[in-house]
Amino acid sequence: MEIRRIVAAIIGIAQSAVGVLSAVLAFLLLCNILEVQTVFTVPPELLPLYLLVLVLFSIFSVLSGLFLIREWRGTD
Amino acid sequence: MANEKKYGLLSAIVMGLSGAIGFEIFALLNYAYFDLAGPSMISALAFCGIINLITMLSYSELSAAIPEVGGEYTYTKVAFGGFISFMAGCLRWLASVFGGALAAVVFVDQLGVLFSVFAPSIQDLILANVAVLIVGLVVVLIILAIRGVEEASTLIVGAFLAIFIIFLATSVGYTLTPQNIVPEASPSSVMHFFATAAYLFPMFVGMRALVAGAPQIKNPGKNVPRALMISTVVLTVVYFAVAFVAVGAVPLGGEIVGDEIPLLNLAAKTIMGPVGAILFALAGIIASISSVGTAMSVQSSLLGGMSRDGYLPAAIQRVHKRFGTRYIAIIASSLFVVFFGISGAVAFLGYAASFGSLLVFALVNLSLIQLRRKMPRLDRPFKAPFYPLTPLAGIIMSVLLLVFPVILRDVNAEGALLSSFGMMAVVLVTYYLRMVKREIDFNRLRVAVGGICFGVGVTLIVLAPAVVPSSLFLLIIIVGLVSILAGILNILASARKID
Repeated sequence: MEIRRIVAAIIGIAQSAVGVLSAVLAFLLLCNILEVQTVFTVPPELLPLYLLVLVLFSIFSVLSGLFLIREWRGTD
Repeated sequence: MANEKKYGLLSAIVMGLSGAIGFEIFALLNYAYFDLAGPSMISALAFCGIINLITMLSYSELSAAIPEVGGEYTYTKVAFGGFISFMAGCLRWLASVFGGALAAVVFVDQLGVLFSVFAPSIQDLILANVAVLIVGLVVVLIILAIRGVEEASTLIVGAFLAIFIIFLATSVGYTLTPQNIVPEASPSSVMHFFATAAYLFPMFVGMRALVAGAPQIKNPGKNVPRALMISTVVLTVVYFAVAFVAVGAVPLGGEIVGDEIPLLNLAAKTIMGPVGAILFALAGIIASISSVGTAMSVQSSLLGGMSRDGYLPAAIQRVHKRFGTRYIAIIASSLFVVFFGISGAVAFLGYAASFGSLLVFALVNLSLIQLRRKMPRLDRPFKAPFYPLTPLAGIIMSVLLLVFPVILRDVNAEGALLSSFGMMAVVLVTYYLRMVKREIDFNRLRVAVGGICFGVGVTLIVLAPAVVPSSLFLLIIIVGLVSILAGILNILASARKID
């Protein structure tokens, strides 16, 4: 069970980080900071779709990661 | 909350006007005039005024019958109960966030216009530091809001109305005859007309600040309906007159174009010269500051209502000991205003604010119908006339305005709609998490989230070779594997507990 908890912690933290980074990327795309829209060649008409996908992916990743971290911390 | 101040009819009207009047006219007229409807934008404005007036009748009845904190959120709660009211509160909050962000963008734009008159180098500096200026503005307003500075609203609305009156009076000397202010009888013109009305709608909705602030008003049963009606009529007349003069002064296809300077500023410059340009830039700055402040106040009221009912943490209701304001709610709301404000996307924010408001309007009208049936003996100091025609008309027109810009495939409207859906997904997850009491429901949620992550992970790995550039291939595969593993762990951990 100890190994399972360690795996849950590692995966949980990794997935939460992925979720947060997705949210940051969505924000960079929205504001076009560092010209990311050009870097990723995002067509303007598809920008809202990219944002939606990133935001939803971010939410579910953070949620899933937090569930695993909760399990690791023993509150589950 | 016992130490909150109480205001009379005049203050109530000022509260409504200070929420609604102003900054949107500087930002939204441009896109509506140059890109959507041309001169028929003027009649779209009048149409917005009529829709607003109809729904304000419903607001008046509900606010007089239920003079409690929370506005729309409270009405839908009494009418339909928990989930719908939570949705209404969140939509209203979202609309207020997008509106506040738009006001912050207008503040920076107008500051740029002001300096363009006599110091173009400072204008460049302003346009290069939009984010810093927006953060600075919001921080100052947070301090003022927490300290409970209300007296400024009267001065701001008074100054703004005075500037518009000077503008209209000066224009009398000119021969202004805008052509085609009524849309042509073709399907395309009619569609553009409705899309314009949807886009311009945020110019009117801000007066709901008055409803959210109803508990702060003396004798709300009488004063709130009166103030709502007076504010709506004053606002519609002022906007119509100003837009008429602006369109007359800056004809489409004329020498002047509105690529960089907003329509209203151009019109003021044409009619009144440099003095007009400065005066209107100042008006835009004043109006946007007023509206960001009002948006923050409305948001704190709504968050306070939802916190009171257990949807949000209790800390949000905490009132400042010295100033009697909900300081945590004010600060929390401001963060969202800053986040969207620094995007600077005016057309997108305009539609986003409009969509949230239109859905709330539809829900408020539905609540009126539901309450008339569910609680016929409720004490109603004010009754909406021509029931049920008025709430039904309000619902139909709100839905029509929502649909037309999307049918027209307006990119900004589609983006606003998708972003609003995304935000609502966050809201629904929050609601579910907050209201889940039983362990078995929590585990079901965990299995569902695990399943979604597993599916996303598999999709990423399957699609990666075909659609992802080679430089990102490894990264996407790792993200996909993490998602799959997290999904499996969540499903295995929770499925046993459900069994």
